[in-house]
Parts: sequence; structure tokens; C-alpha cells
Amino acid sequence: MKLRVLIADDEPLARALVREFLAVHTDVELIAEADNGLEAARCIQELAPELVFLDIQMPRLTGLEVLQLTGLRRGVIFTTAYEQHALAAFDLHAVDYLLKPFSQLRFDDALQRARQLMREGAPAVERLLADQVLRRVLIRDGTELRVLPLDEVEYIEAQADYVAFRHAGRDHLKAQRISELEAQLDPRQFVRVHRSFIINLRQLQALERTDSKTWVVRLRSGKRIPVSRSGHERLLGVL
Amino acid sequence: VHPLLKQLRGLAVYLLVWMLAACALAVAWVRLSPSDWIGVLGFLLPLALLTGMAALSMYAVCRSFPLRPARWMSTLIRRAAAAGVLALLVTGVATLWNATGSLWGRDGLVTLTPTAWLAFIGVQAVLYGLAALMHDALLAQQTLQAARATEASARLLAREMEIKALRAQLDPHFLFNSLNSISSLIHLDPAAARAMTIDLAGFFRQTLRLGECERIRLEEELALVQHYLAVEQRRLGDRLSLCIDVDAACRVACLPPLVLQPLVENAIKHGIRQLDLGGRIELGASHVGSHLVLRVSNPVDAHASRDASGLGQGLRHLRSRLLTQYGGSAFVELERTASLFTVQITLPWQA
Repeated sequence: MKLRVLIADDEPLARALVREFLAVHTDVELIAEADNGLEAARCIQELAPELVFLDIQMPRLTGLEVLQLTGLRRGVIFTTAYEQHALAAFDLHAVDYLLKPFSQLRFDDALQRARQLMREGAPAVERLLADQVLRRVLIRDGTELRVLPLDEVEYIEAQADYVAFRHAGRDHLKAQRISELEAQLDPRQFVRVHRSFIINLRQLQALERTDSKTWVVRLRSGKRIPVSRSGHERLLGVL
Repeated sequence: VHPLLKQLRGLAVYLLVWMLAACALAVAWVRLSPSDWIGVLGFLLPLALLTGMAALSMYAVCRSFPLRPARWMSTLIRRAAAAGVLALLVTGVATLWNATGSLWGRDGLVTLTPTAWLAFIGVQAVLYGLAALMHDALLAQQTLQAARATEASARLLAREMEIKALRAQLDPHFLFNSLNSISSLIHLDPAAARAMTIDLAGFFRQTLRLGECERIRLEEELALVQHYLAVEQRRLGDRLSLCIDVDAACRVACLPPLVLQPLVENAIKHGIRQLDLGGRIELGASHVGSHLVLRVSNPVDAHASRDASGLGQGLRHLRSRLLTQYGGSAFVELERTASLFTVQITLPWQA
């Protein structure tokens, strides 16, 4: 059984180099190449590759976002030319990466290590992603995958097993628990004001008191969202 | 607050000088008109201290009404009035102090005729006038020093900005990615790998050289940009196409280095690279009136959010660089339509 590999990099020459270095490994099969982050996410979800060579800086979605959004946690070798800030986090969590330009020797070494980790499981990537704040989400629009910038999301509502992202007057559903999502968001921008609601502070217009002595927030669009007692405290804590 | 009041040592020396002057005056006084030492010194020493402090207060007057060529008459009158009032006040205190001599069973510490008192007022007024002059000189020197410090820090700031611009140009991301592309090409197409190496070297050499100049000709910057684009074209493949339209007369126009290059870099980073199919960068330069007008435009992703911060640090830097160098006579204008982003830079024409 050959190892099924995906290469994700926006530069054709960079992909060609990985292909060349892979050619000497006969037990590996290249199943797809992606030239942007969204395409990489689509390939990961549809083809379920066992190993991904993932460039960090790609258009549409960065390599880290691809992982955040697809839930892929193992079988990843990051490639990058120079990401000062990202690499500090990589080193901190002992996540391996290939620094461009790299040699065949270094490449083989990373491949070897990745194989090892595939058998043993790799909590390092999980820890690395736990530190990353979510800035975009991936949603399914009909049959198409779309990227939704969280900055533009008005509020998020829990609906049974789904969360609905309110964006430009439409709800976009995604199978996720709201508490799980809350933990990934930037706490300075998104506040859980209620058991079922997270609001984007950039959209906040006013905090109002109702007749029955409870609180509601009014958003720029005019939408009113209930605020629970603990939600009220959280809101005041951030404001 | 007067600078002397901030340092006790200076103040002590200053007052000591006044007291020595009082002693010298006392010696002259006793020689000229026989009086007793105790009375004369008792009168002059405290008075010298008072006069010394009063002279320092002229500093506040000089600061509040600085000398200006346009209003020298009114400032002069103000100073004279201040000196006169001070002289009267101090003389008033002096007569009272002199009267305390009765406590020791004398008429006064010293005996002065009314004419002598008038002369006393006059001398005081002249002293305060002189103090005003000295304070003016002091203030002028302080202003000069402050101006020099401001000028030096402005020059330092401009230099710092140039260095920042240069460092931004030597983008490590670009360097390492290009080396990676060369590494890939060595296997695929050795001749292309060699050509790319030479362009990359040309770009860095030219950037280092031009970065040190204050003004360069546009054609030098264009050569740099072309090395850069040649490298990017190999990295991006057929996603990048170019249209360069520069008036022949503009080639010799002078401008600060690394003005055009960051625009082209932005066009690739935020434009072409974000588009699956890429697009065309248009680069133009023309001589309009007494200005050099540079234009760079690139297609943008129509669906991407119009993020104002997406302008990139490069443009912000460029803006502040041009501001420090040209003040208000250079402009950076941005225009974004649904699918096109254009930056236009207008500089005073220099040949």
C-alpha cells in the first residue's frame, strides 16, 4: 500500500521540487496538487491524503487555516520560505517544517519523521493550532466550498448540532458545537453573550435594558440578541 | 522657571557675585563719605541679594514677550516698564529696610539725600534693563540649540526611513522563495536557473546600490524593477503578464530610490498572487506639467474583502518617506474599482 500524498503550494516550481524529491521514494504516490489554500482544503476533504506537503503562505487560506478548517491533525509537513512569527510557534511546539530551499537529505529526513509520527500520533500540531486564533471559516455553499472571513460575520447562533454564521443577510450552517467554536475565536472581538449566541463586537451598536429587566444587544443591522446574566458580565469585561 | 533656579550651585555662585559687588560698593561708599561700616554693609548686603533675585525675574518678562523684529517697539516698551516697576519696588523695600535702623537706635542704617534716592532708582532700572538684555541673549541661544536638535532629529528620521525602505526591499521571503525556485529549475531547466540567478543577483545588487543614493534617474529604478519582475515571472509562470509604458523623456527624471519598486511588489503580493489566473500589471510614467506621474495598476480579486489595511506596510512607508522628502508637494493616490487597483504617485519634476 503506497503512501498517498498531496502537495499544496501556490508556486509551480516549488511543487515541482517536492515532486522531484518524492520521485526517489517508490512507496509514495502523488494523488493531487493544490495551488491555493481553498483548493488544498477541498483536496483534503475529498481525497483524504495520508501526507500533505503544506506551504504556509498561500492565497485564500494559509496553511495553518487549512488545518484549522479541515480538522486535519496528522500527516502534515509544513514548507515555508520565511515566516518569522509562525516559525516561533512551530519551534515552541516542536512541529517539524521544511525551510525553503531544502536539500533532498533534509526532505528525506522530514518524510521519515512524518511516517514515524503517523504511527505514533502527533499531538504537536494540535497544540500548535490551539494557539492560533480563527480568522476565517470554511463553509459549504451548495456543492462549493467557500471561505467566510469572520471579521464580516455579524453573529453566530447555535442551532441543534450546527452553528449558523450570519453574513451579509444570510445564514451559513456548519456542523460544530458553539462552545468548541468559541474557544477558537479572538476573545477581544467575539463574545458569547448567550448560551446560543456569539456576537462580533465590531457589529455592536448598543446594549439595551428591556422592560423585564433583562439585557439585549442591538447590532448595526437592527437585529436584537438576548444577553444572559453571565453573557452580560463577559460583555462588560471586554468593553 | 529660570534655569539658574534649577541648579543650586549656579545660584549660590551668582548671589555670591552680587554680595562681593555689594562689599566693593561699601568700600567705595565709606571712602567717599565717612559712614560706619556696619550700617553700610547692613544696608547693602540684603539689598544686593534682593536686586540679584529681582534681575532673575526679568527672565519671565523676556520669555513672555520675546523679541520680534516686527514688534520691537512694543517689546522694548514692555521691558522698560517692567524694569522701572521693579526698580521702584526694590527701592521701596530699601527705604523700609533702611528705616529698621531705628531699632538699633539710629535714624537709619545709612543716610541718603532725596537726590541720592532718585539716583538709586535710576541705577536699579539700568541694572534690570541690562538683565533683560542678558536674558534675551540666553533665550536666543536656547532657541538656536532647540532648532539644531530638531533639525538633527528630522535628518535622523529621514535616514531611518530610508534604511527601513531598503530593508523592506531586501525581503527575505522573496529571497528564499527565489532560491527555492532556482533549486527546482536546476533539475528542470538549467539555463533558466542560471538566468534567474543572474536576475536575482541584479536585483539585490541594484537595490543595495540605489538605496544609498539620495536621487536616482527613473531608468535606474526601471532596471531594478525589471530584474525583480523577471524573477517573479519565473516564480508565477504564465500568471503574470506585463505592460510597461514609460515616456522617453521620463527616463532621465530624478526621484528618490525605491519608489516604484514597492508599488510593483504590492501589485504582485496583493494582486496577481491572490488570483488563480493571475493578470497583467501595468506600469506607466509620464511628464505632466511640472510633475512626474507614476502609475502602477493590477487586477484584484473582486470577491476579496476591501480591507483598508491590505494596503500593506510598503505603501504606508512610501507615503511617509515622500512626506519627509517633499512635504506637501508629492502625492500618493489610490483607486480601487471592482477588479482593478491603481496607485498613482505625483512628484515634483526634477531632471
